[in-house]
Amino acid sequence: MAPPGRWVLLAYRLPREPSTPRIAVWRKLKRLGVAQLLDGLVALPLDSRNREQLEWLAEEIVEAGGEVSIWLADSSTAAQEREIASRLASAIAAQYAEVIGQARDAAGKPLSQRRRTLARLRRELARIRRRDYFAPVEREEADRAVETLAESIVELAA
Amino acid sequence: MRWATRPGIHVDRTACAWLIRRFIDPGAEFSFVADIEDIPAGTTAFDMRGVELSHRGRDCTFETILRRYELDESALWDIARIVHEADLEDERFDAPEARGLDVLIRGLSMVCSDDEMLELTGRLYDGLYEYRRRATMLGRDPA
Repeated sequence: MAPPGRWVLLAYRLPREPSTPRIAVWRKLKRLGVAQLLDGLVALPLDSRNREQLEWLAEEIVEAGGEVSIWLADSSTAAQEREIASRLASAIAAQYAEVIGQARDAAGKPLSQRRRTLARLRRELARIRRRDYFAPVEREEADRAVETLAESIVELAA
Repeated sequence: MRWATRPGIHVDRTACAWLIRRFIDPGAEFSFVADIEDIPAGTTAFDMRGVELSHRGRDCTFETILRRYELDESALWDIARIVHEADLEDERFDAPEARGLDVLIRGLSMVCSDDEMLELTGRLYDGLYEYRRRATMLGRDPA
């Protein structure tokens, strides 16, 4: 698990009410797979996509009456960075584990249900991969579990 | 007219540049600036935080420009859905083309300068527009 090197940080504060923009921002941060450093301070490995996504989110926070700033940062120690990276990796690993469980559960189900589950899990895998910066072992396992489900459908249909 | 956007252009900015040149300003000249404070006078900036032609509410910049210039052709809104999903991935639209477009343009940006990107993707969007236009006329995807 190689540490990413540089990070992009988003520091923000949103009014407590109304709650709709707060929830919308929180959902987007979750989707991006941020590391929560403190209340109102999140980090992502720096790349052009992450930086851009946080900039659009910053705009949304301003429109919702909040305060926001974006910073590019290095961790001052490798240990601190490893800690954050492993926290992110284990959160992602848990999401892969969820996919693995659902793929295996679907194995004994009727064909039509398996097809629906397969389509849903493939979309879910794509979403998780998009925010997976450290490729934990569960990633390959999840790919395999979903492919096994796909093969079981092909065999049955053949 | 002169137009400016951030360097390192990707789906939304390449699509906007094509849209501007083809439907708004055939003589458009584009430049790339990283900071909003570096935008030269008399230049219209797009897809930068804090300018009018940028992400607005749930819209990506391509959609903002379509609305601002009242371009309502359905083929353009078809492209807007694809660009939106490639750029924002918020699953607001069903646009399976988005992932492919994202990968192709991201790859192209690794081997091309921004000026080359404008030239190459311009033809790509010409083709995508023609495809969506024919699809609208036929009522199904053209073969």
